[in-house]
Amino acid sequence: MTASFVMAAVLGLLYALGTFLLLRRDVVRVVWGITIISQATNTYLVTMGGFAGSVPVLAGHGGHGGGAVQDPLVQALVLTAIVIGFGTTAFALVLTYRVYEEHGTIDLQALGEDGADIDGGEPR
Amino acid sequence: MTTVIARTVTRVVVPFILLTAVSLLFQGHNLPGGGFIAGVLTCTAFALVYIIYGQESLRTLVGGSEPGDGVLTGLPGTYARLFAVGLGVAAGAGVVSTALGYPFLTQTVLYLSDVPAVHALTELPGIGTLEVASAFVFDVGVYLVVVGGLLTIVSVVGRE
Amino acid sequence: MSHPAHVVVAPLLVALLTAVTTLLARSFPRLQRGLSVLGGVGYAAAVAALAAAVTGDADGYIVYALSGWDAPFGIVLVADALSAFFLIIAAIVGVAALVFSVGYLDRETAALSYHSLFHFMLVGVTGALLTGDLFNLFVWFEVMLMASYVLVVYYSGPEHTRAALHYTVLNLLGGAVMLLAVGGLYAVTGTLNMADMAHRLAEGAVDPAPVLGLSALLFTVFALKAGIVPFQFWVPDAYRAAPAPVTAVLAGVVKKVGIYAIVRVYFTVLSAGEVALDLPFVAGDSYLAFFGPVMFAMAVGSILLGGVGAVNQPDMDGLLAYSSIGQIGFIVLPLAVAATAPYGGSLMTFAITAALVYSLNHGLAKGLLFLSSGVTRRAVGSTDFADLGGLSERDPAFAGAFFLGVLALIGIPPLSGFFGKFLVFDTGVRAGSTPVLALALVGAVFTVAYFSRAWNRTFWGDPVEYDPQPRLVAVLAVLAVGLVVVGVGFEPVVAGAEAAAEAAVNRSGYVDAVLEVGA
Repeated sequence: MTASFVMAAVLGLLYALGTFLLLRRDVVRVVWGITIISQATNTYLVTMGGFAGSVPVLAGHGGHGGGAVQDPLVQALVLTAIVIGFGTTAFALVLTYRVYEEHGTIDLQALGEDGADIDGGEPR
Repeated sequence: MTTVIARTVTRVVVPFILLTAVSLLFQGHNLPGGGFIAGVLTCTAFALVYIIYGQESLRTLVGGSEPGDGVLTGLPGTYARLFAVGLGVAAGAGVVSTALGYPFLTQTVLYLSDVPAVHALTELPGIGTLEVASAFVFDVGVYLVVVGGLLTIVSVVGRE
Repeated sequence: MSHPAHVVVAPLLVALLTAVTTLLARSFPRLQRGLSVLGGVGYAAAVAALAAAVTGDADGYIVYALSGWDAPFGIVLVADALSAFFLIIAAIVGVAALVFSVGYLDRETAALSYHSLFHFMLVGVTGALLTGDLFNLFVWFEVMLMASYVLVVYYSGPEHTRAALHYTVLNLLGGAVMLLAVGGLYAVTGTLNMADMAHRLAEGAVDPAPVLGLSALLFTVFALKAGIVPFQFWVPDAYRAAPAPVTAVLAGVVKKVGIYAIVRVYFTVLSAGEVALDLPFVAGDSYLAFFGPVMFAMAVGSILLGGVGAVNQPDMDGLLAYSSIGQIGFIVLPLAVAATAPYGGSLMTFAITAALVYSLNHGLAKGLLFLSSGVTRRAVGSTDFADLGGLSERDPAFAGAFFLGVLALIGIPPLSGFFGKFLVFDTGVRAGSTPVLALALVGAVFTVAYFSRAWNRTFWGDPVEYDPQPRLVAVLAVLAVGLVVVGVGFEPVVAGAEAAAEAAVNRSGYVDAVLEVGA
């Protein structure tokens, strides 16, 4: 119970921090915000597995005696989510760099004013 | 950044990182580890060499072609090819099972102790039941994808 | 399951292998283009084979256990009439866009990654349409989106990077929210397999209240993918920035995956749960009763905002982007009616059929129109209405194809759009709902208004300089013929849509097939 309470508090803090960063004008901070929110979600997923038992990994092919084990599925899910988050974060950071190259700024306000009229398609 | 201490530490540490990465790769099919984490670890070794010794030394190490005009020439080109090959290996590892009539991605394990020809080998002290898992091929593919992809990013962005 | 039906996994594998081989063939652009188109045709063939297999199957469900691990423990792919219907949309629009892009894009730049990414997007779409696992749905969504992020920023000019930044950040946030909802659903129901989830919900072993909240969270993510108001704000910028064939796929296919997810998850799976609702405007005892009014409000917002926005756009891309927001409203509207109808009844099936037929029509017609916008850009050098005019004199074939696309969206017989619109109106009549009819009417008027404006400004007036693009127009002509064929030979299409709608509301059939309860 205490563990759940601590985790709930930590998750709340992480989401708050992520949201705060997400609302900043600086693109890099926005990407940080996204990263923190996805990490908070990963933490949440692990929390959803409960805190009932021991390490779920089959050390020595399951010969670890009886007793409850953690739900290994959430850990597999988190692993997948981490890999995906890793790829997307890398892309977002490279994109941020590209935005800086194209616009000379990473301030979202300035980005919005820089050529507000989008003419899509091929580059001018 | 390139003090004597940093250079020396890098020389010592990089082989250890690579060794750990390889061992993680090999145990990945049934213990913590696997292609992704091994790939990331390998990349940290490369990144360390890159930061301390520069891109040129990495080229002599890997043996990439000279940089040209395009984005994916020289080292990044090599890495990008690694990425593509890895993807092919991983996808192929899944497809092979369909060719044999099993569902996509089906994996199997061969215990060498069950194979008569090499059975004697596994009875030597300290060897035990050797296993060859087909999932390892998939892991190698993932490993190549991660190494190729990450190093492409590092080298392309680093060149800017 | 002794004999795995590889036909289920075939479209996925074809797209995946094409993506990999085009990546490997990067140094040989001609070979790469050939492989890419070949892969596209192979994809269409695989989808056709799958659709035939599903139709020929006795109970209409083909379950494929990946790695041989059966449900609910392994990840399964489930092909039924509903997934087959959306796969067919994906195959038609995808292949047309692919062939178009071979002639449209600069070959040097396209060789780098375009073809591979395009097929990866198809991989994601196919996986999302076939998977029977909620977490797996998240993974396929990410595969699809990851490819689309890069395709949106393809031209990498200032506007493109900015649009891609918005698109990426929003969808990354959407991904995190989806993961949150999926994790929560797992914690509450104890399973991720959709059939098993429906089974457990129907048994009543699950606390229904948290499921309602989590499914509402999940709904926002699907709405974001489908670009339904109020989650539409990324649509115009992203559609303007992406190359025309990519936009055709984003509007014609990727949006429809969002619609598919809504139908599959809410009508097939979550409808199993019973919860006593006591909220303003909401009464009933199922989750669908909650989502009915929500979807109706979203449809109202989409049709109005899309219509007003489209009438007011200075360029064709923008008009089409807002138009697709409005048209999504036409798809969500019958779904809203379906959600409040008795479960599995004829009204629910009919309303879902209407939504599916409209999805097909919109996929084809909007794909055609976005590709037309690409032709305009290539031929005239701009899609601003200020720079356009008199194209009907310059290129009657192009004008004809565009006109057919417009007529299909407006809903003139005998094109596919007529039946789409007709079924939506009929849904309103059958439900006896005046607001639904009024809204559909307003939407139809808006459609006529903004498309007549687009037509007048682009094809009438003083002719501008025009560089003919016969090869690109040929692709448009094929799609236009498709619109007529679907309209004239409507019987099999509506039969397919009906089968899909029946599969969507046949929860026990789905559960039994996946879990093999009855076998």
